[in-house]
Amino acid sequence: MALTVTDFFEEGRDPFELEVVCGETHLGRVIKEPAINRPGLALTGFFQYFANLRIQVMGLAELTYLKHLPDDETRSARLAQLFEQRIPCVVLTRNRHAPPELLAQAESYRVPVLKTPMITNRFINRATLLMEDLSAPRRKFQGTMLDIKGMGVLIEGQPGIGKSETALALIERGHSLISDDLTLLRRDNLGTVVGSADEVTRYHMEIRGLGIIHVPSLFGVASMRREMRLDLVIRLATFDEHADYDRTGMRSETVSLLGADIPLLTIPVAPGRDIAHVVEVAALNQKLKQLGHDAAKELDEKLMRALERKRRQ
Amino acid sequence: MKGRTKESTTEAVPYRDLTIANQHGMHARPAALFIKTAARFDAEITIEKDDTRISGKSIMGLLTMELYQGAKMRVYAEGPDAEEALDALAELVRNKFDEE
Repeated sequence: MALTVTDFFEEGRDPFELEVVCGETHLGRVIKEPAINRPGLALTGFFQYFANLRIQVMGLAELTYLKHLPDDETRSARLAQLFEQRIPCVVLTRNRHAPPELLAQAESYRVPVLKTPMITNRFINRATLLMEDLSAPRRKFQGTMLDIKGMGVLIEGQPGIGKSETALALIERGHSLISDDLTLLRRDNLGTVVGSADEVTRYHMEIRGLGIIHVPSLFGVASMRREMRLDLVIRLATFDEHADYDRTGMRSETVSLLGADIPLLTIPVAPGRDIAHVVEVAALNQKLKQLGHDAAKELDEKLMRALERKRRQ
Repeated sequence: MKGRTKESTTEAVPYRDLTIANQHGMHARPAALFIKTAARFDAEITIEKDDTRISGKSIMGLLTMELYQGAKMRVYAEGPDAEEALDALAELVRNKFDEE
């Protein structure tokens, strides 16, 4: 989905105190490169390698340069050259006033002009992060996500298998819920997959027989977390005597989500099995693996050395 | 568990004597493969070595049996598909668990 100036304006309105100076009807323009450019060189008339697909930010330097141009015609001509490049929008920092020639050219090329009270450097940093976030790959995933002792665990499985009940038991053990039943996943610019909840249903979960409950009212604010890096996917499956479960933990299966390979564990659900406990241990075991300690592998190495000694005797 | 009944029942139960052929013996991967194969059948699988008997579906049991290359074990199968189960397990051991 293409990122438009409207998207940027809506999301940046509060944090950056953005206002539209002119061109409100042109906010639908697409930001093809979600990044910032300062058009200093372009204002001097040099357009080689000009990053025209990015948001153009004008701070003190650009506006002072424009002011120092000899006359209104020169200013107008230079700005016309800039707007000819089909730039998505212009942002003025420190709430500076734009010269009338800038507004006139912006209007004639149908380019919106925004302003912010922030200083240029801070705005560039924050706006870059916001755009990366807005243009990050996203998908919805049917599953319940928890923070189990610092590990982001997504529980999936057929409806009715007990995802929410497992989550409830984990919350009671002191872990925090990120989302129940539907998790929004996005991949950030470092390649990390992050899970969060839908804005409306966040903090709620549905338990069969109880209906909808408000988690922080029942278990306190520590029971909820807004978002979390995804470390492990646990698939709950109905226990099948003949199914091929991993009995050693050496198989290391993964599932591809938004292009990232996330470790996957299939846990069979059978009457009498405390699934919440198994999930908790699975999360901690995965944490150990991330720290470079693989219990199954280490036991196997120890075993092979012992078998080798026996064989030689 | 030991006892008269068990001992006398065992008489009629089909079994095979298998010799571990792969170089590294019964370590985690072969053990998992053995159990996975055993789980395909309804027959109850029991493994016996040096007077110790364990279930053929217990991975920790299998790993403590000290089944190095050249070691012998007796595999019992009890149930309707016992012969097929023994054939499959014997083949697995003979093929060195596809390790070499």
